[in-house]
Amino acid sequence: MEKENKAKEGIKGWINPAKYGKFGIERFAWILMRITGLGLLAYFIGHIYETSSILDGPAAWESVLELTQTTEGHIFLSLVIGMCVFHTGNGIRLMLVQMGYGIGKPARPDYPYKPQSLNMKGKACIYATIGIAALAMWYGITVMFG
Amino acid sequence: MIMRESIVMKIHYGTALGAVFLVAIHIMMRMTMDFHDSLQYENVIANYEMIGYAILLELILILISVHGFNGLRVILLEMRQGQAYEKGVTYGCIAAMVVLVAYGSRTIIMTNMGMV
Repeated sequence: MEKENKAKEGIKGWINPAKYGKFGIERFAWILMRITGLGLLAYFIGHIYETSSILDGPAAWESVLELTQTTEGHIFLSLVIGMCVFHTGNGIRLMLVQMGYGIGKPARPDYPYKPQSLNMKGKACIYATIGIAALAMWYGITVMFG
Repeated sequence: MIMRESIVMKIHYGTALGAVFLVAIHIMMRMTMDFHDSLQYENVIANYEMIGYAILLELILILISVHGFNGLRVILLEMRQGQAYEKGVTYGCIAAMVVLVAYGSRTIIMTNMGMV
């Protein structure tokens, strides 16, 4: 019964910091994939609504555009760039993993039962994706503030 | 209509790859001139009036809507299960996707046809 309850943590399980120490960078990538996905969907809906203001003429377009032409707006857009790059990079890694690339060869499960799939290749890809996302954010900031 | 989850995930990955490619073109269009100038009303209208670019925007709208709302469905189904809940989430996401595509298409079509 206790095991069953543990499996029903839902969103509390997402935000529990103890899980990151226990499960490592793969867990962090898992939660970040979901957070960036939700963030990008929210941005996409907002972007569709924002661009629809073009139908109301130049004044409406300019007033909506002004929201993103501020320091806060640029920082928000650079966050969107970072989310987009991480979500793309990690998504491509997950596609490759699901096709069987980079998950190691099957081996006898001996103590301490380290899964073959959670290896250095996967970890390196996650760190590289986070690094590329940070670089893309920096580039976006230089373009928007430039 | 019941679609196998393996097919749904293939659609999820296909829409992701398509969206990455098309969004890259969409962003590069902003780089053809100064970033701030590219967002001027006249320049944006000129972009929308190009039929090729309007088709690109429509494709991006459909691909990201399908990918995004299927992703949301997957997240919601990971959190809770149950026949009625799963059905509600699936149909809710499909409905939201249709509304968003319709709303976005309205902007693209009206601007492309000069109805602004």
